[in-house]
Order: sequence, then structure tokens, then C-alpha cells
Amino acid sequence: MKKRVTLTFPQTTVHMPITYKLAKDFNVAANIIRAQVAPNQIGKLVVELQGDIDEIQAAIEWMRIQDIDVSSASGEIAIDEDSCVDCGLCTGVCPTQALILDPESFQLVFKRSRCVVCEQCIPTCPVGAISTNL
Amino acid sequence: MRTIAEINDKILQGKAVVWTAEELKIKVQEIGISKAFKQVDVICTGTFEPMESSGAIINLGHTDPPIKIRQCWLDSIPAYAGFGAVDLYLGATAMADYSISETLERIPDSKTDRERGGGHVIEDLIAGKSIHLRAIGQQTDCYPRASFENNITKNTINQFYLFNPRNLYQNFIVGVNGGDRHLHTYLGPLQPRLGNAVYSNPGAISPLMNDPDLDVIGIGSKIFLGGGVGYIAWEGTQHFPLQKRLPNRTPIGPAATVAIIGDAKQMNSRWIRGCYLKNYGPSIMIGVGVPLPVLREEVILHCAVRDRDIVAPIVDFSIPRRVRPTFGLVTYQQLKSGRIKLEGKSVRVAPLASIALSRKVAEELKELIGAGKFTLTEFVAPIPKDRSFVPQDRRGSSLNLD
Repeated sequence: MKKRVTLTFPQTTVHMPITYKLAKDFNVAANIIRAQVAPNQIGKLVVELQGDIDEIQAAIEWMRIQDIDVSSASGEIAIDEDSCVDCGLCTGVCPTQALILDPESFQLVFKRSRCVVCEQCIPTCPVGAISTNL
Repeated sequence: MRTIAEINDKILQGKAVVWTAEELKIKVQEIGISKAFKQVDVICTGTFEPMESSGAIINLGHTDPPIKIRQCWLDSIPAYAGFGAVDLYLGATAMADYSISETLERIPDSKTDRERGGGHVIEDLIAGKSIHLRAIGQQTDCYPRASFENNITKNTINQFYLFNPRNLYQNFIVGVNGGDRHLHTYLGPLQPRLGNAVYSNPGAISPLMNDPDLDVIGIGSKIFLGGGVGYIAWEGTQHFPLQKRLPNRTPIGPAATVAIIGDAKQMNSRWIRGCYLKNYGPSIMIGVGVPLPVLREEVILHCAVRDRDIVAPIVDFSIPRRVRPTFGLVTYQQLKSGRIKLEGKSVRVAPLASIALSRKVAEELKELIGAGKFTLTEFVAPIPKDRSFVPQDRRGSSLNLD
């Protein structure tokens, strides 16, 4: 199975090779969607964990013991539908076609599973309707 | 043949047959032009797109003691004050003047306010929000006051109407970037090496695409403007009806424009939206609907035009000159497919006009007319058909021996 999570790790764990540990000890592939990691700072990682359901669960428990906060409310973009005018300008900069215009209604469709949270759409939106929770 | 008076009678009796431009195009496919002409009285067109040559006229009302305003800021956005004492004009693209540090300090949230412009202030006023006003006066015997500050809403000012010198561009361009540097343009971001393309006209549903020679609309034509009632006031700035045209009379690039006017107090902020194009500046998106009276069969012929029948030029923004190189013409059908082929490469295309909201404008106008709440007007003078588009070149650059 696949599970997208946000990892927040304290300064003390920043030096730990998390993705290596996940692969070696739990046989879990961690596809990094986004990362904010710097020396001596709180790090943030949005990863898609892929592997056996029990092993993913064990990996998450192990990370929690390491003082890593694991949140399934993963980093993603949010579209304010009241603000959005369906102009579609964002669809031209989205590299993964997570943002597309419906070919019939020409309304904006956001396919969350395709989004890599590159955030190029955020400054592109002329009415400021797109934000990120990361 | 029909007359506007006959159509209005039908509207008031609730008997007028009103179709959106999209419905008309489908009907013509099914039953042909002659039968469609017999059935329909009014065709509703609409658009919702950035129209930066727009602005609001405001009369504040007189203060006591009175002031003759020479400089004025609305939420730190400068408004033009070179009229009578308390008349102002707030342009949609006006932005805060950052050379005045005092102005900066007054901005409550300076992070986002760099992106705020006149268009946002107009939207907020229409929405009923309070706007901070600061004015500096020229002291005279008539107007002794030197400065004034207040918070205003649309209910505490006299006139508040939009007067937009250039709206409803009949066709536009498609922007691309053939260079190797990311560009921030009035069409939004253009990525290098033909990374994306942007078009800004909603195509065959756009008002002036359906009356290409402006035969049935002119000065005085009543329109749907921002949720309220507006009128075509004049030819628009840069009006260029002599643009090259296809045999169906639609232009192959930017052509006719109109100036429009309408009471902003009646408008709805759903149809008037301040916007910001990154590193270009603020602007305004406006919903405008134009009802076309079906006076003659020819009106149907022109309204039957489809996205595959109209084209726009693909323009390379990497060369910042008045005349930019083009990659030829592309149909709106290709543009709306989301991909075009350029130099053997498949390029993502995005619109800047909201096609979904353009349709909603046409539908809303159709409902108003169908309910007998919106009648048509006869125009009082035609929009000129022979305006050329002159460039501004420096005179006297060549040797003159006189």
C-alpha cells in the first residue's frame, strides 16, 4: 500500500538517515515529495511510504519512538473554491497535471494524488486562491 | 427582420426567446441558420477576463471645511485627483507608492499588500467593505482644508461608477516564451524554452467575436456589467477594427475594443475581482455580458462561429519590443484542448479568461432577459470601423534642414 505522511523531526534527529532506516529495517520505500531540512533546525519531510501495511505501521511506530512527529495530514495544497474563478492559469504551470480544467465544464479540477506540492501554482494564481499547509 | 422595440415588447411580455451564444451555435448545427433566425430574439454572450484598462469614478462628498483634493490614497493605493474638488478616479492597476515610507507604515499587512491594487479596492468597495481614505488638499479661499482622513464605504460616497476605457478586446494573442529566462507577463508566468502558452480570450463565446463588425451594438447599447447594468460609452482605447480578418469577419489578432460605463453600487463582487499577476502587477477581472438582438438573419450567421473557425497569433514574449516575433496562428479549438504543437514540441496551454464564468455571465444575462428584468437599447451612434492603430515614435529623429 501507499501512505502519504508528513514527518516533523526535532534538531536531535535531523542527522539520522531516516529513509535508509525505513528501507533497510522495514522494507518501506519512502518517496520524498517535499523536504525542508537544514542543520540544527526542525526538519519537515513529506513522504509517500510504500510497502506492506504492517511494515508501514511498524515503521511509523518506530519513527514516533525516535521523537519524530508523524502526521497523516500530509503537506498539500488547498484551493479556496469561493475565491477561485476557474481561469485555469495554474493548469499551465502544474508539471504533473494535478491541476486541470474539466474539458466540458472548464472548471478547475484538483487531482490530489498527482500533486507533488511544487507550489508553482500558488504565486501563479491571480486571485490568491491556492495555499499550502506545509 | 425584427426591431429592438418588437424584441423589448416580447421581453416585457415574457415571450422573448433567449439563447446563450453556445446554445445558438449548437442549434445552428441542428436546424440551420434560417430556422434558428425564425426562433430566437436575443443571443447572450459573456466574458470574464482581466481587463486592466478599467477604473472607478468616485465623488466623495464635501468635507467641512471643504477640501480641494490634489493627492489621494484609498487603502494606500493612489487615486487620480485632477478633477473637481472631491472627484477621484481609481485605476485598476494602480499600486501603492513605495517611495513614501509613511504610506508603507500604514499598510496593516505589508506582506500581501504589494500585490494589492486599485482593482482590489474597487472589489472591496463593491462588496460593501470599508476603505481607508487619505487626502492632501491645495488650500484656497474656496477650499481651506489641507488634509483629510476617513473610512469610506459605497454607502458614504456619492457617485461610484466604473468607467473602463478599454474592455471586451475582440480577440487577443497567445503568449509563449522562446527565450531561456522565466518571464512574468500580463498573461501570467511564461516558462522558458516554450514551457507553456497562455491565451486570454474565451474564444467563440466572447461578445465581440459574435458581432465581428459591431453591426448590432454601438454607443448606448445596454450590457450586463459586473452584475449590474452598464452601457457601451464609446470606442475603446486601441480600438483597431482594421485588423486583418478571416472570411467569417473575425479578426486574426487584437482588434475592436469598447469603453464601458456602469453604476458600481449595483454591482456584485462575484463579477468584479481584483487580481494580481506575479511580478507584473495588480489588475481586475470583470464579468461582462452583451445581449445581441437578432434583427437580421446575418446576426445568426455571425453568432454561429465556432472555436475551430477563429484564430489567435502565438507571440514570443522573450523579445521585449513593440513588434514581437510570432509562431503563426492557432485556432481556439486547439487552444481549448490544452495542448498546442510548436516547433515539433507539445506545449501546455492555459487560459487566463475564465471560460466557466464567461458561460455563467451569459446564462445570468439570459435569465434576466427571460424574466423580463433586462431590456435592450437601440444604439445612438455606431462604433467607428476605420480607426488605424498608430505607434508612438519619436518625432524629429531624422535630419530636418528647415
